[in-house]
Amino acid sequence: MSITKLARVLGAGAIALAAAASSASAQDKVIYQLDWLPGGDKAPIYVCINRGFCKKAGLDVSITSGRGSTEAITKLGTGSSDIGSAGMEALMAAKARENVPVIAVMSIFNQGPHAFFTLKGNGVTEMKDVKGKRIATSPFTASNVFLPLILADMGMSESDIRLTKADPGALGPMLMTGSTDVIIAWMTDVSRYTNQAIAAKREIVVMPWSTQGLNLYSAALVASEKFLKERPDVARRFVAAFKQSMEYVKTNPAESVAAVTAIVPELTGPDVNGQLKDMLVLMHNDVSAKDGLGALEAKRLAETWARTAASLKLDPKSLDPEKVVNRSFMPK
Amino acid sequence: MQALISPRAKSIILPTITFIAILAIWEGVSRGFSIPAFVLPAPSRILMGFEAITFSRWMEHVWATLRVALIGYFVSIAVAIPIAIGLTRSKTLADCLYPILVVVQSTPIVAVAPIIIVVLGSQDAPRIVITFLITFFPLVVSTTTGLMATPPELIELSRSLRAPASREFTQIRIPFAIPYIFSALKISITLAVIGAVVAEFVAADKGVGYFIQFSTSLFKLPEAWAGLGVLVLMSLTLFQLVELTQRVFFPWSLPKDAT
Repeated sequence: MSITKLARVLGAGAIALAAAASSASAQDKVIYQLDWLPGGDKAPIYVCINRGFCKKAGLDVSITSGRGSTEAITKLGTGSSDIGSAGMEALMAAKARENVPVIAVMSIFNQGPHAFFTLKGNGVTEMKDVKGKRIATSPFTASNVFLPLILADMGMSESDIRLTKADPGALGPMLMTGSTDVIIAWMTDVSRYTNQAIAAKREIVVMPWSTQGLNLYSAALVASEKFLKERPDVARRFVAAFKQSMEYVKTNPAESVAAVTAIVPELTGPDVNGQLKDMLVLMHNDVSAKDGLGALEAKRLAETWARTAASLKLDPKSLDPEKVVNRSFMPK
Repeated sequence: MQALISPRAKSIILPTITFIAILAIWEGVSRGFSIPAFVLPAPSRILMGFEAITFSRWMEHVWATLRVALIGYFVSIAVAIPIAIGLTRSKTLADCLYPILVVVQSTPIVAVAPIIIVVLGSQDAPRIVITFLITFFPLVVSTTTGLMATPPELIELSRSLRAPASREFTQIRIPFAIPYIFSALKISITLAVIGAVVAEFVAADKGVGYFIQFSTSLFKLPEAWAGLGVLVLMSLTLFQLVELTQRVFFPWSLPKDAT
């Protein structure tokens, strides 16, 4: 009985899907791969869909969530998705090691989001104060790649700190309850941790690694080489619409928040607003003012590779960073 | 007092009182020690977590998990029972397949899940395969044990009467295996929910497991606990449905004190 019902439901679903597919056939289908779960820091793609920029460009975009940059790059490489976001350092490492058929077409964040978060009164007032402290990080964050470098820049090594790894969801509670002195997290989470600190009647202190001279690209718009080769016109239209959305989120934050919550009902306005505010400084800043929004400037790109190669102990000559990017899809 | 309450009522009332007492202590401790919601939310706060999304959105998540769990479960029944019959009938087949089954069962599915997702894409197929892999081993083992547990004299009698092998299975072995099959079905239905959730943790855009992961990533612990409550409810309901099926269609297969 259950099988019959299930078969009917599946049959009805298949018919509905077929009908939906035929009605949307006028537009070019694009599967957008997130590198993590939906959130305000991913606002441009939701704006692109909800505010009609993608539709106007003749695109029918669907979003699929990810579980980290490496996974997102793998899905793009295998052709499960067409274009998406992933960390530049993860893409460079994947290119150097496996020559994955994925390429960056535009930068999203032109600064690394990595930072130390601590609480006022924990005895950490500047970066070098982390010496001897208990530091917690999540096991798979890209920040772990750059930690040895940032420590070395301050004349330290990992043996000078007491590093533990924990689930990302546990880092905030660990900091607030005193289980750790410092956590490693991203600048896109400042609002979340600030709210937790307020609930714990404490004050959060954030120390971005970019202030220590870690100048690198982080999140980038990356695409499957197959997609770029087989549908270059679709890719060009998508990149232009995405860039338009990146500009829109800066000038229209309230509408951008509404665009995200309209598509992801699990998110509340305040959640998205906080993430969006935190994200904007990584997208629109001095670097974007100098090089242009979304630019992939050669010197910064080379610096990103030099840092990535050093931290992962890869031969710097094993990859030409220019081979990781294709700037021809950017709108003129 | 003992005479006033029937044993059946007692078996319901006592766990209910215990459950309510645990919730009351939990609520009291959370409030008394002002434990922040992001560390351990009080039950009253978890109740509010259900309001984070609309009822229809909850149903979308529940259906996404339920669909994968049920398809994986029925596929595993469809595969496991014929395999068990094959293992019982042919020693050669048993020698060939058993080591492979043990290897599959010994492989931590959580570790293999990301590989399955990469190979099969990110739609329902990999999630169903993960659920299937988690559920089918207990079914194979229990069904095989049940089929082998048939009294040998009955098998001999059947053979002496020249009954075909199909009748030996349908009229002797399978009826004897029914209690074993149902105990495996009960274990597997809860494993199916676990399988679906494991798969959603690795790749999904909808489902209760996905909702829990999503809420945790936003530090919304009360919502995550609410999702956990939904999963427990789902598992219990499915378990009871399997038990009801056995009670209605195979009452003779139940232990005497359970009828």
